[in-house]
Parts: sequence; structure tokens; C-alpha cells
Amino acid sequence: MLRSLFLFDMTFWLYLAALGLYVGYVLARRPNMQLAPAGHPSGPMEGESGWATQIGQVATIVTIFGWVVNTMALLTRAYERMQISGTFAPWSNQFEAMAYVSWAIILGYVLLELRYRIKAIGAFVVGIGFIAMGAASLLPYRYQTAEPLVPALNSYWIYIHVSVTLTSYAAFAMAGGLGLMYLLKERAERRGSTSSVLAAFPDLETIDELGYKAIMVGFPLLAFGIILGAMWANYAWGGYWSWDPKETWSLIVWLIYGAYIHARMTRGWEGRRAAIYAVFGFLMVVFCFWGVNFLLSGLHAYA
Amino acid sequence: MNGERPVVVEEGAAPKSAPSLGWQEISAELAELFASIKLAMFLFIVLAMTATIGTVIQQGERPDVYIKEYGEEAYRWFLRLGFTDVYHTWWFTSLLTLLCINSLTCFYKRFPAIWRSMQQDKVNIGLPFIKGMKHRAEVPVAGSKERVAEGIVQWLAERGYRVLAKNEAGEATLYATKGIMGRVGAHMAHLSATVIVLGGLIGSYYGFQEFGVCLEGQTYHIPKGKFDLRIDKFWIDYHENGAVKSYNSTLTVIDQGAPVTTKTITVNDPLVYKGIWFYQSSYGDAWDRVEIARLNIKEKGTDKVVGTVDLEWQKEVSLDKLGLKLAVTDFVADFGFNSTDKKVYSKTVEHANPAVRLTITEQPRVKATPVQAAPWIFYHYPDLFEIQGSRYRFELVGYQPKKFTGLQITKDPGVNIVWIGSTMIVVGITLSSFIYHRRLWAKVIPTGAGVTVHIGGNTHKSQIDFQKEFRKLTERIKTINTQIGQEASG
Ligand code: HEM
Repeated sequence: MLRSLFLFDMTFWLYLAALGLYVGYVLARRPNMQLAPAGHPSGPMEGESGWATQIGQVATIVTIFGWVVNTMALLTRAYERMQISGTFAPWSNQFEAMAYVSWAIILGYVLLELRYRIKAIGAFVVGIGFIAMGAASLLPYRYQTAEPLVPALNSYWIYIHVSVTLTSYAAFAMAGGLGLMYLLKERAERRGSTSSVLAAFPDLETIDELGYKAIMVGFPLLAFGIILGAMWANYAWGGYWSWDPKETWSLIVWLIYGAYIHARMTRGWEGRRAAIYAVFGFLMVVFCFWGVNFLLSGLHAYA
Repeated sequence: MNGERPVVVEEGAAPKSAPSLGWQEISAELAELFASIKLAMFLFIVLAMTATIGTVIQQGERPDVYIKEYGEEAYRWFLRLGFTDVYHTWWFTSLLTLLCINSLTCFYKRFPAIWRSMQQDKVNIGLPFIKGMKHRAEVPVAGSKERVAEGIVQWLAERGYRVLAKNEAGEATLYATKGIMGRVGAHMAHLSATVIVLGGLIGSYYGFQEFGVCLEGQTYHIPKGKFDLRIDKFWIDYHENGAVKSYNSTLTVIDQGAPVTTKTITVNDPLVYKGIWFYQSSYGDAWDRVEIARLNIKEKGTDKVVGTVDLEWQKEVSLDKLGLKLAVTDFVADFGFNSTDKKVYSKTVEHANPAVRLTITEQPRVKATPVQAAPWIFYHYPDLFEIQGSRYRFELVGYQPKKFTGLQITKDPGVNIVWIGSTMIVVGITLSSFIYHRRLWAKVIPTGAGVTVHIGGNTHKSQIDFQKEFRKLTERIKTINTQIGQEASG
């Protein structure tokens, strides 16, 4: 039994707890209409009951703790890999890659929360990080171990190419979560719902803008990741581009987001449409990451 | 907005009488189309959709593979539409070409305006212009026009804005800008697509890619490089659990008869000589030779094994006790016989029906001329042929095939151009993602007691951050007088 598996397990439970707390935070954060003096300008902390604040704080702490455990799990795995095969990249198979992606998603989320101080987003983004970790734990045991790498992968390129690409996936996951949040809130607003839950969400424009920002982080990262992959292929196989399903799919994903960033510059491509598109783009990322590995064949199918 | 200028009519051109569909109109329409973001979005999406085809349908397979999986009718359609080699069809390459034309036109139409705005001043604007901006504010402050303007300039300059100011009798006007590199980056990305495609084209016209199946100890001529390559050694390293760790070949380049350089290549570490790259790409069992073959020698009468020999490839061994001289002189992995020219060959490279050719010289007990024979001995069918006049039967009980090393041999003179384009795209997109272009205008207009500052600004993205910055600026302007006062007294 690998020691890292225990830590990965613990990460899973911590993220689950964090997700529960964020959802609890959103539910607890009712605007206390009756208490607020009429006509009072509404600040960002409007109606935050004592409960909500405390749950929110605990949620953040649990998330950060989970992230630290996730970090330790990855480091431990790196050490185990070093023992087994002399390479350390803790993202060398599907399981490790998933664990790394959730690490990156949560890191991104924590940075976002610290910078913008909007906790409700955690209910979505930490949710996606949790799902990534959960999907990894559901993989059969033989996928979770640290088998030595096949010769083609045994290269320092794996450190940088894979991590950059996976980080871009994390950014797109964040954008997808924000898109989902936007759609929920927008739908409720359209129906004239005054549900207490939605009051905890930031306003639509902010969600939209943050989602766009996440994509603007993912887009260059994915370009860089694809190009690093091309350089590796050129070094390992004698051709920088061979239209292998995985590389083609990452190009497809990149093109999809390329259309998005240009669409943002034309009228009407903000808000709802952009949110739907971000969710769709994220589904394409999921396919690129999971679908291609399990459904299509190619040079990357080992993972 | 910038960039919208009246069409420049050439000086000497005769005035056109009717709005005919002349070359100018057509070219203007075309330029409009090719500079449009709509076309760009369309191309991005269509390229993404068509690129999926080749990931679902295997590319470049033999016809029978497709027919077996999809049927004949479907295969005929595949051929018609190019689905067996999507990425090289005329329509896919046309889409890529269109994307290049599109982004070049975009660069051509929009970059000059950005270039100009990097040099030109934008101070000559009227008050309504500021009042029409997305972010705007009006702040009354006490103090003189010059003082307040100076304070704003200082604040903006501290934040990395480039500021231009104009002081006129009735008002002071400021223009501040930051982050133009974000837009320059976008246009760098636009140029890069074409650079990458060019690199790819050069590679496909002037480069080549071949696969060599090479055996240890052999020397091969590389006609495209006008030199020879000797395979000194090939071997495989294993992990403790038996999985392959790496495979390696030691290669020596022989140029004009003299060895020039020797390198051990392995996966991820090629040899480069005169622009030709040799990659360790694969390995396998040779189908036409063995390292060593083990044979049992049985006496025909008793069917008893009288000896076992390991024969090295094409090395004769004398077994004096049995009066035998044996050598393995040939091998096929999958026995096939061509009846027209009476030749043995290997039907496939698989070791499906392996056989060795054994050259036998047998000295009979009584003095006579030796028996000479060269039968094929089959691994799976030991009793197929009987050797006339011999006391023995031979059984092939095992063999160790010689390994070949699979070398990928490529030359790609376009690859460095591709890397230049790649660098441009990554740097360009990164710049445009993280630096955003911000512009602020302010007019400081004296009113009765003090001045009113009208400020407005815009950004092409990152509205939240800009809003924050804008709010800070307004706060700062409100307190400008006290601060100036403090500085003066302090
Ligand atoms: C070939 C691949 C292309 C890439 C990698 C690319 C990349 C980019 C990037 C990263 C930006 C900056 C986006 C932002 O600031 O939010 C941008 C802006 C832009 N792109 Fe593209 N683009 C491509 C093709 C095109 C094409 C074909 C057009 C055709 C019209 C186009 C039109 C524009 C325009 C008008 C802008 C705004 C430029 C500005 O701010 O002045 N792009 N592009």
C-alpha cells in the first residue's frame, strides 16, 4: 500500500467537507430583511447572519487544509515515484493527473477567494475540485498505483508539458463552475425569484467577469501546454505534430476557447451566452481529459 | 472609435460615375469580410468540428480496416470526403489558409491604429466624449486647476500610466494610458498563425520522414544526407519488475569513409547530424535472422536424442562424435514459398511459422562421400521433411531472434520557424491575457470656488479591476487638495 493513497483519500474527505460547508454557508446566508433598516445602502456584508460568517470561515479553513493535504499527497507520491522508477512527476497517470487538477482548481479558488472575498463561488468551484478528486478515487486500484513509466514518457518534458496542460484544465474548470453559477442565478432572477440562497451569490456581472478571467488564464496555458507537447513529440518521435487524438482534442478545445475570446469582443456575447459557452467548453475539456483516454486510441492512451 | 477613417481615394483616380461593382468595392468588401471577427469565430468553430472527425475515424489505415468496421458504402464516402486523411484534404487546408488570411487581414486593418495610438496624443477631446464613457465621474474639488491636474498626473504616473496633459485657458485636459502591450500581444498572436503554417509548409516540402529497420553491426547508407550510419549496438534496459525501461542504440556516423561521431540514442534523446535527426523509435524481432537457434539431434532408428546444439547465426559447428557439421544459414519468421521463382520468404514479420535452414554435412560411418543437405526445419512442424541418406532427424526446439532497432529518420528545415511562431503565440496570448489596455481622460474645469474634475475611462476587458482602480482614482481626486496641502506643509 502506498502511503500517498491515504493522503489522497483524506484530501477527498476534506474537500467533501469543504463543499458541504460552502453549501451550508450559501444556505445560511439569508438576507435578514426585517433587520435591515429601510433605505440603508447595502454593503457587501448585507444580511450576513452570524452563523453564515462562521460557517464561511470554517469552509475556507477546511478548504485550505484540504489543499495542504492534497499538496502533501502529491509530494509523497513524487517521493514514491522517485523510489520506484527514478522520475518524480506526480501526474504521470490518470489518477495522479486528476489529483493534480483538483489541487490546481482548489489553489485557484483559494487565491480567488482571498483576492475577491466572495465565498459563495466555493459551492461551485470547490464542488468541481471535489468531483475531480472523487472521480480519481473511483478509478480501479491498478490505475492508482505508481507504475514505472513506459520509455516514451520517461523524460523531463513530462514535468512541464503535463503540468501546464493540466493547470489550464483547472482554469477551464473554474470558468465552467462560474458559468453554471451564472446560469442558476440568472434563471432565478428571470423568474423573479427572491430565493434567499441566491442572495449570497455575487452579482451577475462579477460572475461573468471572473469566468472570463479564468478562461483568459486557461487559454495561454493551454497554448503553452500544446506547444510543449509538440516540442516533446519533436524530440521523442521525430515530428512535432502527428494529429494523434489527444493532441488534436486539445487543439479542438483551444479553438473552442479561441472562438470564445473573440466572441467576447462582439456584442451580445457576455452574460448568459458566454456562461452557456463556458459550461460547454468545460464539457469539451472533460472529454479531452477523460473521454479521449478511455474512448479513443493514440499515443496518450496509456494514461 | 479609432481605426474608422474615410476611405482614401487615390489622387489621380478618375471619379467614378456610378456605384458600379468595381474592383475597389469588391476588394473593400473582401477586406471587410476577412477582417471580421464573425468569420474568425466561424473558422475556429468549423475547424474544431472537422478536426474531431480524424479522432473518431482512424486515419491512414488500409482499406480493409475501414470496410470491416464501417462497410463498403461508408468507405466509398470516406474516400470521397477525404475522411481517411482529414487533415490533408483540400477543404481542411483551405480552412487553415482562410484562418491565416483572416488573422493577417485583422492585423493589417487594426494594428496601424494601435501603433499610432502608441505615439500620438489623444488629448484633443471634448467634454461630451468623457461624459459618454462607460466609467465616468464628476468630482468637485477645491484648489487651482494646475494643482489638481498635477496631483492627478502624479497619481497616475505612480501607477505606471503614460500621461499626456494640455493646459489651456479654460480647462486642463489629461490623457493617460497603460497596458497597450496587451493589444500588441494580441496582434503578435495573429501573426503567429501564419508563421506556424509557413514553418509547417516548409517542413513538408523540404523535409522528409522515413523509418529504418536496422540491425546491429550493419552499416546503412543515408542517401539524403550523403553519409553512412553504422549500428554498433542495440540493447534494452528493464525495470526490476521486468517492464521495459528504455531501449538504446549506439550509432556511428561515417562521412566520406571516416567515422565522425558516435552517440548512444534512446527514446527522448536523438542523434542529430547535418540536420538529419535519428530517433530511437521502436524495436522488434527481426524476421529474417536469429541470434541463436537450439536444435535437438535425434537418431532416426531409436528416436533418441543424441545431442543438443546451440547454433549461432551462420557459424558452422563441428560435432565430431556424430560426424556432423552444422550451421544455421537462413531464417524466416513466417514461412512462405514462392513456387514461380522457387524462393522461400517470410509472409509477414510476425513469428507465426518460424523455420531455420540448416546446412548439414554428415560423414557416414563407412568411408564415403559426405552427405550434404540444407533442409528447412520448422519450429511448429518437426516431422515435415525427412533428410535422405542421413542417420539423424533435427528438431528446432527454440531460438532467439535478432532484435532490430527501429529508427525514425527525419529532416525538417521548417521546425525552427514553427518554434518562432509558437513563441509568438504564447508570448502574445499571455501578454493579451494579463495586461489590459486602459485609457483615462480627465478635464479639470474651474468653477466658481474650485474646480470640477470630469474623468472617464475605458478598458476592453477586466471591467471589475478597472472599476476598482477607477473608484480609487476618484477617491484620490476628492482628497487631492488635503494631500497637496499636507505635502506643502510637511
Ligand atoms: C489564428 C489564431 C488567433 C489567435 C491565437 C488569436 C488570439 C487573440 C487574442 C489572444 C486576442 C486578445 C483577446 C483579448 O484581449 O481579450 C485577440 C484579439 C483580437 N482578435 Fe484574434 N486571434 C486569432 C485569430 C483572429 C482572427 C482570424 C481574427 C479576425 C478578425 C481576429 C480578430 C481579433 C481582434 C479584432 C482582436 C482585438 C484586437 C485588439 O484588441 O485590438 N483574431 N486575438
